[in-house]
Amino acid sequence: MDTHAHDRRHFLALTAGAAATPLLAACGAGFGGNDDKGGGSAADDVTGSFDWKREKGGTVKALLNKHPYTDALIADLKSFTAQTGIRVEYDVFPEDNYFDKLTVDLSSGRASYDVFMLGAYMVWQYGPPGWLEDLGPWMRNSSATGDEWDRADFFPNLLQADQWSLKDGAPLGRGGQYALPWGWETNVVAYNTEVFSKLGLRPAESFDELREIAGVIKRKAPGAGYDGMYGIAVRGSRSWATIHPGFMTMYARNGLRDFTVDGGKLKPAMNTPEAVAFTRDWAGMVKQGGPPSWTSYTWYQCSSDLGAKKAGMLFDADTAAYFQAVKGASPASGKIAFHPGPKGPDGSLATNMWIWSLGMNAKSKKKSASWLFLQWATGKEHLRRAAVTGNHIDPVRKSVSQDAAYKDKMRHLPGFIETFETVVDQTKIQFTPQAQFFDATTSWAAALQEIYGGQNARSVLNGLAGDLAAKVD
Amino acid sequence: MGWRLTLRPYLLIVPALLLTCGILYPFGLGLYYTLFDFSASKPQPDMVRLHNYETVFTQDAFWNSAWVTVLYAVGAAAAETVLGVAVALLLHRSSLVGRVLEKILILPLMIAPVIAAIMWKLMLQPSVGVVNHLLKPVGLGGVQWTDTPAGALLSSIAVDVWVYTPFVAILALAGLRSLPTSPFEAAAVDGAGWWYTFRRLTLPMLWPYVLVAVIFRFMDSLKVFDIIYALTEGGPGDSTVVLQIRAYLEAIRFQRYSFGISYTIVLWAVVYLAAMVLVKHLGRIQRKAAEAK
Amino acid sequence: MTVRKRLLGVLADAALILYFVFALFPIAWMVILSLKPANQLFSTYFSFTPTLGSYRTVLGDSEGIPFVRFFVNSLVVSVGAVALSLLVGLPAAYASARWRFKGSENLMFTLLSFRFAPELTVIIPLFVLYQKLGLFDTYVGMIWVLQLVTLPLIVWIMRSYFADLTPELEQAALLDGYTRKQAFFKVALPLVKPGVAAVSLLAFIFAWNNFVFPLILTSNEAQTVTVGALSFLGGDRPKYNLTAAAALVSVVPPLLLALTIQRYLVRGLSFGAVKS
Repeated sequence: MDTHAHDRRHFLALTAGAAATPLLAACGAGFGGNDDKGGGSAADDVTGSFDWKREKGGTVKALLNKHPYTDALIADLKSFTAQTGIRVEYDVFPEDNYFDKLTVDLSSGRASYDVFMLGAYMVWQYGPPGWLEDLGPWMRNSSATGDEWDRADFFPNLLQADQWSLKDGAPLGRGGQYALPWGWETNVVAYNTEVFSKLGLRPAESFDELREIAGVIKRKAPGAGYDGMYGIAVRGSRSWATIHPGFMTMYARNGLRDFTVDGGKLKPAMNTPEAVAFTRDWAGMVKQGGPPSWTSYTWYQCSSDLGAKKAGMLFDADTAAYFQAVKGASPASGKIAFHPGPKGPDGSLATNMWIWSLGMNAKSKKKSASWLFLQWATGKEHLRRAAVTGNHIDPVRKSVSQDAAYKDKMRHLPGFIETFETVVDQTKIQFTPQAQFFDATTSWAAALQEIYGGQNARSVLNGLAGDLAAKVD
Repeated sequence: MGWRLTLRPYLLIVPALLLTCGILYPFGLGLYYTLFDFSASKPQPDMVRLHNYETVFTQDAFWNSAWVTVLYAVGAAAAETVLGVAVALLLHRSSLVGRVLEKILILPLMIAPVIAAIMWKLMLQPSVGVVNHLLKPVGLGGVQWTDTPAGALLSSIAVDVWVYTPFVAILALAGLRSLPTSPFEAAAVDGAGWWYTFRRLTLPMLWPYVLVAVIFRFMDSLKVFDIIYALTEGGPGDSTVVLQIRAYLEAIRFQRYSFGISYTIVLWAVVYLAAMVLVKHLGRIQRKAAEAK
Repeated sequence: MTVRKRLLGVLADAALILYFVFALFPIAWMVILSLKPANQLFSTYFSFTPTLGSYRTVLGDSEGIPFVRFFVNSLVVSVGAVALSLLVGLPAAYASARWRFKGSENLMFTLLSFRFAPELTVIIPLFVLYQKLGLFDTYVGMIWVLQLVTLPLIVWIMRSYFADLTPELEQAALLDGYTRKQAFFKVALPLVKPGVAAVSLLAFIFAWNNFVFPLILTSNEAQTVTVGALSFLGGDRPKYNLTAAAALVSVVPPLLLALTIQRYLVRGLSFGAVKS
């Protein structure tokens, strides 16, 4: 009600032209803030018995990132429309720009998209300003959610990863459900079996071994018929995305933390003596066995090097290796095997993950239809189809991961299913949830690059911790 | 007649002016945003007046970025000017080769910079890139182009040079073609050498044309974004974090909208001042050139 | 002397060819990439099994990216933006070149300075504004925002051009009984035609290649090829072959335009940097 007057006033200011800018000060228009702080969830309006057809004739607008999981979803959309009578309009944007697009869209406070893809880390950014609908009330309302959705079928770590109380440092798995896990990626080691057998190597069981093997491959593989091959591909660009796959997984397996939380206060822990030693070793591994021009490496370079037989190993998302490993995809197809990767000193296989999740815009005017879409997209039927006929390779549901047809499909990749099953229970978000995640991890990546470039690890990481302490405070 | 005469220029300019106002409005809005602390963690912003600018100017990160930006812009503009003028001079000779090549001079300009940078990144990837492959016979197969601060900056500048040298070359060539012929004929009669003619005649007369190109290139490279973002993302370390990259990270990636926009306003002010100085200089040498004519 | 001259000529041609190798190699490489099958992208350099599959994928609207529609969108918004800029920019350039009225210098300079304003300054406010005005993801919205790219370029360069044109011709026309309007359309404008052609081409290229504005201010309806070409990169593997094919397809319109006005291009830009 108030928003109408708001809009009209804004429009008047606008038509008055450039000179009217100061007028804006009076009405405070232009910010995308969340101004409707009404209590209660729209989920409470859904009553009666559950009905897929309850929003028949409606439309839902989705923002999607270009991804094999997305392709599988789009291919199956007609069954959603058939089941519910709801049409889905969607935009697909490239990964490099997807989150820019989503961020600007959400920050404007408009509901241009009802549903969208996001990662668990984005919940920490989009959740606190109130841009994400809490899906908890929808899940709990048996009028809105069918029995077959079966919440208990999700791997619990995944469901918890999108659940948070919106307080920096507070653990995941409590508070609102701000997104639903839909597809995910574990970070494990993939290796070229041909090179390994030729050089008489076995997958590393400890970080020391991993560093050694990486160096051995770089020294010996080029002489064994693998021109220009190096040991291990890991990301290295100046981006948050460098920290979260291999690096964070190994970091966590060494029992290290990004932040410690003391009495609700966050304290950076990247500069503890153990963390400094680990980081130095990681940079050393890259120097001795990593890719040339490492500081420009994103997953594009990492995965294409594995496929082109330029990298002996890849410590990254299993999907990055999978799509090089499948038949006919690359010269290394058929020669790529999976392994959980090195254990920590205490045998830990703690693994960090990326979860493509689906979230709902808190400003959406079509929440009930949107919820039906989310329910369908994360439901057993679609996810099974996507896993068996599409390329939805890491199932978020236990039932799909145990499905015979899915297992059959994955069996030809040596070690894939075994690796998945070994790490799945120890795979979770290894970061401390906090709103400055992207700033912290981007600076962390820059620090890693400086250490790789020869600077003193302790002083670089002390500097990083000092900067971050001020920011997360 | 009198009032119509004085009014006419204003009337002719009104549509452009209105359009400019249309463009100006979002700028005003952007400026207005910077007076607040609007961010994802503060969607209900408070007025903080000039606090964002205070923070900008007291950050080491800002001064580092400003320095890198200037290095990049000066390096790119200088390299493009020298190379562009050289190419124009060579084309101006109108040899058979030159006449053929002139037709395709503009081609690199047609590839969107953001795509050009991605293709260059792929070509410069030492493991599978074609550039290292081709340089292998001369022993340069292992060069890690973007792995050191200097290398990263130089590689980015090289991509900028690739994209925009044709722009300078075309403007310089246009200048060369419109120079009067009589001074050159006179110099030839006097038996002046090539270098003398170039230093004393060609360059001074050509400079006004070239300067227009230099101004466009210098201003544009002060706000470089696409090329560096695709090639180095600002790394290694902070070595190529130019102002626009910093602004992008702050405003979009870290969602400190007001603060990030403050960065761009500061950048705009720098560009505006630089443009003012350069355009004044341009006006001066244009007048001088006109007198010489 | 003549031997030396011929030698210098050969050297000059060699230098020219060297530059063009640098300038054209990346484009040739894109052509090669676009003809490579996906599984040979990174494993071979010059020997591969060529295929037109990438072009079929890009133009066939598969991969969920309606590239052909984006292509049409690009045409509409780039042509629209240049046309609008010419429509309002030419009179403004003419006026400011012919009459030194109060504030004309400052006005022109301010106009130019927009050309150099960082897009990020306006992108967030503009997004909010467009959403409210219903301009988000529309041709009108894109044409408007692209004025930032095209208008200053056209006004600035055409102004020098008009200034270089001696006013005596128009004055003679006025004496012959032409009105001011006729003098502009029948005398001044035809004389600057090469300039208009050349500057329109540059403006068109810059509008066509713009990335940030269409990325943020459009979604499915008005999205352009530059954003579309990048959409092919992500997914299961980095598909540089598709991106290269898309980029090359999107070079066609500016290239055709450039070829059409080839004879104006250099001559047209010999605008009057030297004015009296």
